[in-house]
Order: sequence, then C-alpha cells, then structure tokens
Amino acid sequence: MASTSKATVPGGPSLGRSRPRYGELIIKVILVLAAAVSVATTIGIVAALLEPTIEFFGTVSVVEFFTSIEWGPLFSPPSFGVLPIVVATLLVTIIAMIVAIPLGLAAAIYLSEYAKPRVRKIIKPVLEVLAGIPTVVFGFFALTFVTPLLRDFLPFTLDYRNALSGGLVVGVMIIPTVASLAEDAMSAVPNSLREGAYALASSRMIVSLRVVLPAALSGIIAAIILAFSRAIGETMIVVIATGGRSIFTMNPAREMDTMASFIARAGSGDVPVGSIEYKTIFAVGALLFIMTFLMNYVSAKVVRRYREAYE
Amino acid sequence: MSEIGTSIPNVTVRGPEVPRNIQALDPVFNVSGLSVFYGDYAAVRGVDMVIGNREITAMIGPSGCGKSTVLRCFNRMNDLIPGARAAGKITYHGEDLYGDHVDPIEVRRRIGMVFQKPNPFPKSIYDNIAYGPRVNGRKKGMDGIVEEALTKAALWDEVKDKLKQNALSLSGGQQQRLCIARAIAVRPEVILMDEPCSALDPIATTKIEDLMQELSRDYTIVIVTHNMQQAARVSDRTAFFTAEVDDSGVRHGRLVEYDETSRIFTNPSDKRTEDYITGRFG
Ligand SMILES: Nc1ncnc2c1ncn2[C@@H]1O[C@H](COP(=O)(O)OP(=O)(O)OP(=O)(O)O)[C@@H](O)[C@H]1O
Ligand SMILES: [Mg+2]
Repeated sequence: MASTSKATVPGGPSLGRSRPRYGELIIKVILVLAAAVSVATTIGIVAALLEPTIEFFGTVSVVEFFTSIEWGPLFSPPSFGVLPIVVATLLVTIIAMIVAIPLGLAAAIYLSEYAKPRVRKIIKPVLEVLAGIPTVVFGFFALTFVTPLLRDFLPFTLDYRNALSGGLVVGVMIIPTVASLAEDAMSAVPNSLREGAYALASSRMIVSLRVVLPAALSGIIAAIILAFSRAIGETMIVVIATGGRSIFTMNPAREMDTMASFIARAGSGDVPVGSIEYKTIFAVGALLFIMTFLMNYVSAKVVRRYREAYE
Repeated sequence: MSEIGTSIPNVTVRGPEVPRNIQALDPVFNVSGLSVFYGDYAAVRGVDMVIGNREITAMIGPSGCGKSTVLRCFNRMNDLIPGARAAGKITYHGEDLYGDHVDPIEVRRRIGMVFQKPNPFPKSIYDNIAYGPRVNGRKKGMDGIVEEALTKAALWDEVKDKLKQNALSLSGGQQQRLCIARAIAVRPEVILMDEPCSALDPIATTKIEDLMQELSRDYTIVIVTHNMQQAARVSDRTAFFTAEVDDSGVRHGRLVEYDETSRIFTNPSDKRTEDYITGRFG
C-alpha cells in the first residue's frame, strides 16, 4: 500500500499527508493513559487482595471458611465460618433489589414512555441529585425513621438494628440509579419501533412492556447490575442500620453483620497488620469481589440470550 | 424521473385495465375542511377528499406539503405527537374519527399502517406477525394467522423455513413485506402506506406494487409516494398536494386536485398539477 499511496492525481498534489498530525498523537496517548489507569487500578486491587487471602487460607481451612456457621474472627477463640455474613449480605441485597427493580423500572417507564417532555426535563435531574445523597444520611434515615415505623406497623418484633430496614433503605438509595440508567436505555430505543407498535393497535403499556423494554434489555440489565453491585457492597447504611452482631439467620428482623460492614468495622479497629484478623478482612474482600464479578458475568450471558437488539 | 419531458408522461394508468366502476364511490373516509396543526403551525389547511372502499388512493406532491401529516390523521397516529391537532372533520363509515367516544386503539385495529422505513421488531419473523393478534387478545390458531398473513404479503415461500429467525436478518424488501404482513395479521379494513417503497430497489418495489394490487381486492389502501409512475401504475385515485406560501411567508400544505388517476395523469384540470407531473415543478 505504501508504494501505491505515492501515486499522484494527474495534475494534482500527492494524496499523502502533507504534515504530521501531532495533536492527534498527543490525544491518543492521553486516552490510552486514561484507560490504562483504570485497568491498572483494578489489577492492583486484585493483586493486593490476593496475597493476604492466600496467606489466610494457609491458616484457616477452605472447608471451615465455607461450611462453618460460626463467624467471629475477632473473638477468642476466633471462628471463621463466612456463611453468616454471606447470607446477611445476600439478604440485604435481595431486599434492596426487591424494592429497587420494580420501583426503578416503573419510574423509568414513566419517564421514558408516559411523561411529557417538560416533566421529564425536570424529574430526570432531580433523580440524578437523589443518586448523589451521601449514604450516611440514608443510614440514619433507616435507623431513626424506618425502623421505628416498621416496629409500629409490623406484627413481629424487630431488633433495634435489622436487615429489613437496612435492605429497604439500600433499595431506596439505588432506585435513582436503576431509574436513570434504565430510562437512558429506553429512550435510546428508536421511535420507529414505537410507531410500528402503536400502529398495530397497542396501548401505551403494551408498547412499553412488549416492545421498548425488550429492546432496551441490555441497558436495563446493566442498570440493575450496577445497582446490585452498589447494594452488595453498601457499607454505611448497613453499618448504621443493620448492625454488627453476626448470627446465622435468614430472619430479616434480626441484627446481622454483612461482608461490607464487617470489613468496615474490622478495618477501622486496631487490627495489627499481618495478623490473622487482618488477613480475614482481605479474604472477605476477595470473596465479595468474586461474588460481584460472577453476578456481572452471569448477567452478561443472560443479556446475550434474551435481548432484542434493534441494530 | 429523468425520462419525463415537457409533455404528459407516457405512463400506464391502472384505471382502464381494472374492470371496476370507479364512479360509484363507496366512501370509507370522508374528509372535509381538514387542517392539521403542529403547535400553532398549520401544516395543511382545508383538505376535502373522499376515500373509496377497496380502492387504492395515492397522495403525491412535493416534500413538506403535508402528505404524511394527512395520512397519519386517518389512523390518529398524530395523536402521539405532542402538540399535534386536527381541525375539521374526518368520518370513517360515517362515524366521526375524532369524536369524543372514539378509542384511538380501536381505530388503529381497523386501520393499519406501513411506514417509509421498514420497522420490524427485533423479534423473530413469527413473533413479528403474531404481535398484533396477540396484543389484540387472540390466543388460539396463531400458526394459521401467521401463515395466512405471510401468504397474503407474498412472503410465505421465502420465510416458511425460518420463522424463528430474527426479522432483522431479512432483506429490506422482505422486511417491508413483513411489515405489510404484520399489518394484515390484525385484519384491518384499511392499510395506510407512507412511501413504502422509497427505501427499496426496483425489483422489491415491483413486488410491493403487485402486492398492493392484490391486496386492493380486500383492503382499502391509501399510499403516499414520491414516485409518480408508481402512483399512476397502482392507484385508482390520486390526490395532488402542494405547499403554498401565505401572506406572512409561512408555508402551508394544500390539496390542489383530487381525481381519478387516469385523469390526473392525462388531463389534469389544474396547471400546478400538470407542472408537477410533467416535471416542471421543483
Ligand atoms: N412532528 C412534527 N412537528 C412539527 N412539524 C412537523 C412535524 N411533522 C411534520 N411537520 C411539518 O409539517 C409539514 C408537513 O410535513 P409532512 O411530513 O406531512 O410532509 P410530507 O408531504 O410527508 O413530506 P415528505 O414528502 O418529505 O415526506 C412540514 O412543514 C413539516 O416540517
Ligand atoms: Mg412524508
């Protein structure tokens, strides 16, 4: 190709570049660096987790870690059964998702398919502001408002700190994330599909559910995954509202310790570097990382299977 | 359109070959004094026309003269555009299409539409056809409905072995026939087509034109087209629209002439129509 590009148009200048484009080169280098920073950070985190985690499993057996239901690494004698905090984490996350997915998607459908443009222009930024409220505020909201309210209305007794109110408020916290990202995905569905559906005598609800939603599925799942990742790793709300005593239970009315809240509590205490307690923090962190990663992986598969790609 | 000279083009007109008494007009739509507004802007003003049962009515005219706007009134698609509003009267079998009691969804069940750009859903071929019947409450006998609609749209033989395939894997012409089949599957009485061939090659266009002829035995068809040969070939009646500039410099669409297609193309009564079909118009 290099030799043919020398050929000149009869009577015209060469088709070769007249002068090098340095600006283009500089921009490219900057962009590559930016991408490299985020990849390097991820690799760095994994590497940092890996060594103490491996050392941890040199002391504690994998079988004990995954099958024992006693969790008390900071007690003496310590016990290292991770199941109670895994169950607590999943419990809080599931409660949160039960709140956030239907409400978030309903809000997204409303904004994308029902709301007048003027209304959407006002509500969308409000949602995005809501997504930015510090979680510590939500935590105290859960502890001082939601729990007392639930205690008044529910027929069973709740612990002062409990998974239910923590989960509900984590759910509320991630609604804007789900709503805003899902709305972006739904608005991106071409109008020609909507028109086609309306012309076939569809109601607005049917157009939303049978045409727009499936076409926007990959973006919606991405929104849910992001929300899930925030919920599973949510720390502040859980530390404040769900508690620190770890008992093995599936009862959301009880106080329990999640993986993230354990890490926060243990990490902020005076755990000596290199001790087994210290390594436990990393082992739990690694497990949390793997759980989030698996979730991402599985949902990517699901999306590929079910999405209705419009391009 | 380069072959059109200064004389009336030598085009085949459908009228004479089709043995039907075109005079005895059995009205499906009766449009009187129709004006359509987008916000404050009157896109078309004062349209009067009657659409005959099981006829093909063509709407022609320069870009922006309001053909699509008028067409979209017939199935109330303009309702979906914020700020769009129709004034005047359109009746469908004598019933006011814009009456208070009228349900636009019911209107669209009777009056289907095919768009300029083929817009199949990103679902399987089968699900595309079954969509309309399903959302309209049909549950049983779907296989038969799908086959019938695809057969009527002259697509069955090409797709019968790949009904589970994604509709987007079809060619543009096949996609457009799929969209026609999809409209037919709802069993409408009228099919509106907005430049259905403008994204297609000549062979696919011929197929769709043949299909329209075929369908006009059972359906009333209203078609917008920029292709005058097409209007001449397929339609029974032709409406010629144009855009006029009013005193304050605003362009409004207007219906200039509406007549049997053979008349419009051989002996138009308005100078503007003649100029347009002979290519003297921009
Ligand atoms: N959604 C809309 N909002 C505002 N104005 C519109 C809208 N749709 C059409 N118009 C205006 O109405 C006029 C008629 O448009 P219309 O699409 O009906 O023309 P047309 O005859 O179908 O043109 P074409 O042949 O290019 O498709 C144009 O001036 C157009 O700008
Ligand atoms: Mg148009």
